Amino acid sequence: MSTRRLLIAACGFWLVLWLPPARSALESDMALHMALQMPLLIVLGVLLAAAARHDEPRWLASADWLGIPGIVAVVLGTSFWMLPLALDQAIADFRFDLVKFLTLPILVGMPLGLSWRRMPPLGRAFIWANFIPKLGAVGGLYLGAPTRLCAYYRIDQQELAGWTLIAVAIALGITWFIAAFIGWTPSCAQQASRHSAEGAGRQRAFGGASAA
Amino acid sequence: MTMAVTAGRTGRTAISPRAAVLAYLAVAGVVFLLMMLLGLTMRLAQAQWIDVPPNFFYVVMTMHGAGMVGIAGLSSAAVMWHFVRRHDPVSTAVFLTNLVFFLIGAVLILGAGFIGGFGAAWTFLFPLPAHSGGLWSVNAAASYLIGLIFIGVGFLLLHLDIARGILSKYHGLGAALGVKQAFGLAPAEAGPPPAVTASTMALIANILGIVVGAAVLVISLVNLYVPSFTFNTLAAKNLIYYFGHTFINVTIYMAVIAVYEILPVYSHRKWKTNWAFYLAWVLSTVFVLTVYTHHLLMDFAMPTWTLVAGQVISWLSGLPVLLVTAFGTLTVVYRSGLRWNPAAALVFLGVAGWAIGVIPAIADGTIAVNSVMHNTQWVPGHFHTYLLLGMVAMVLGFMTYLTNPQPRYGFAWLGYWLYLVGGVIFVIAFLLAGAASVPRRYAVHVAQWLPYDRIGSIGAALAIAGVLILVVRFFVGMRTAVLAEDPIG
Ligand code: HEM
Ligand SMILES: [Cu+2]
Repeated sequence: MSTRRLLIAACGFWLVLWLPPARSALESDMALHMALQMPLLIVLGVLLAAAARHDEPRWLASADWLGIPGIVAVVLGTSFWMLPLALDQAIADFRFDLVKFLTLPILVGMPLGLSWRRMPPLGRAFIWANFIPKLGAVGGLYLGAPTRLCAYYRIDQQELAGWTLIAVAIALGITWFIAAFIGWTPSCAQQASRHSAEGAGRQRAFGGASAA
Repeated sequence: MTMAVTAGRTGRTAISPRAAVLAYLAVAGVVFLLMMLLGLTMRLAQAQWIDVPPNFFYVVMTMHGAGMVGIAGLSSAAVMWHFVRRHDPVSTAVFLTNLVFFLIGAVLILGAGFIGGFGAAWTFLFPLPAHSGGLWSVNAAASYLIGLIFIGVGFLLLHLDIARGILSKYHGLGAALGVKQAFGLAPAEAGPPPAVTASTMALIANILGIVVGAAVLVISLVNLYVPSFTFNTLAAKNLIYYFGHTFINVTIYMAVIAVYEILPVYSHRKWKTNWAFYLAWVLSTVFVLTVYTHHLLMDFAMPTWTLVAGQVISWLSGLPVLLVTAFGTLTVVYRSGLRWNPAAALVFLGVAGWAIGVIPAIADGTIAVNSVMHNTQWVPGHFHTYLLLGMVAMVLGFMTYLTNPQPRYGFAWLGYWLYLVGGVIFVIAFLLAGAASVPRRYAVHVAQWLPYDRIGSIGAALAIAGVLILVVRFFVGMRTAVLAEDPIG
């Protein structure tokens, strides 16, 4: 797809999500809100990143050392929007919801799309290994909470959301495991071997240095 | 020359991989000794030869458990890394990062115990850390849990890096495990080296275990500070043992690499890998992820099928790898003309200790036996057998192998025999006490139990003296070992 088309598609997609029918439907339920609407907004940002990749300013690319700043933004952004308070505010105040609609694509999705490829395999794996238990723990906390944590959601919705997050965490974990087990990561594997070839060279150098 | 220049140009401090391994082992030697002294303290207290206030006994028990489990992981990771590095590109920087995280975690845990008085056992079963009865503060419990998180993160990085290295060479973890060879779909000669297979199983088990552990640690932390957040205690117990059992169980699968690599060096025979070898590792990989359920045999609220499964898996779990290892060990050693030295003898002892320790463990994994033996000293009896005389023996063998290429072994032989004889007395005292229904985790023992405690104390003291000798000679040999190649022949 050309850059322009991608861009138009992304904007259309955004509008559909923002317009009341889709928005109120997805936000009326806590589980849908967390496990569908937000991921969709992030996916949107990833699409934008794909469109913008060729126009990315050089300074940005070089400032984003190993993709770490970008991924830190992703981690902070997603963590924030998992908080009950943030969910509540988004429903109470449409301006706050707009903030969500802007930050999730731009401060989470786009950095994800741009920085992820810069991150070395070890970093990526580490992010996965942190994200999965975090989802599980947040899900567990929603289940273990003594009261409703959100003013706008019923306790049964909160419970459903908790279970949904746990289910997503388990599903992600299993997928990740199967992918690694059968070796379904062609691009990662290539990169990995490139990195490791460098690593091996360096290590051989060290071995030589210390034996000398 | 060119190589040295290259190293200079990368501009990093050149800690050689070998020095890094020795650093791990140096830490391990010291920590093992200190933790053994804590163990002896408990035994002497139970024997009523020294006076230890009961609440301090539980601090010591917690520190001994957590410290031993942690250092077992660290030292066996050194074995694994040293040998897997020969086959796959792994990062020395990540390896050292794990050591740093471990030390930070250890400080937090020791502080929690010896300053904060934390004594909820290394298993930190929910919600005990939050119910101290005034013996420790919330912050002390949190310090313990955060210490565990640090150690977990370090190991996570290490295993992920090894996974990266392995994946760069093998197409998937399944291939690195030897799944095809296991089912006869590919010739065994083309299979991965044993060190790669074992490291793959270790990383699969530990990464999953740590991910689960991280979630339950965070939940426990929240519960500490906001007690109104409560969780299903049985679910929490499942998660904790998934993490805890797996972590300690995996240490033996990492340490056993020392057997595969060291015995062949001295016996001049290759460790032969056949389909059975790979099948055993594949099976044990599946089992190690499910075997933790034997900790729940007394939890009547668990669905029955999980208990039945837990029981069957407990019988089977260790066996495949143990059998191929024991068999392989015998074929490598038998009539090979191997000239015994302490390093070879230690790893050989490791296999024997593991094999013997598993027998009472399997008995205990049977529900009928478990309802009698559960929480008796039978349990420390069996796990000390395969940890102290199995896993630790393999690590000590590795330490000896790296640091003493010369055949001046007299001192080491003395250490070996003290450690072996003392260790055997020590574990038999536990097992006999267990058979007589002496409960485990009791700070104060009644008069009828004292004979076991006293014999156990004497055995422990002898074993510690032996380990001290082996560790001292490791430190003496360390300076030259940094520069040496692995001893051949
Ligand atoms: C000479 C060496 C050792 C001595 C004297 C010793 C002594 C003890 C004693 C007295 C106990 C408490 C028994 C009871 O419950 O009544 C214990 C528990 C334990 N030991 Fe050891 N031990 C030694 C080595 C090891 C090693 C090498 C490991 C692991 C690598 C280990 C891991 C543990 C663990 C995990 C517990 C359970 C703690 C708990 O119940 O929470 N020990 N040890
Ligand atoms: Cu267990």
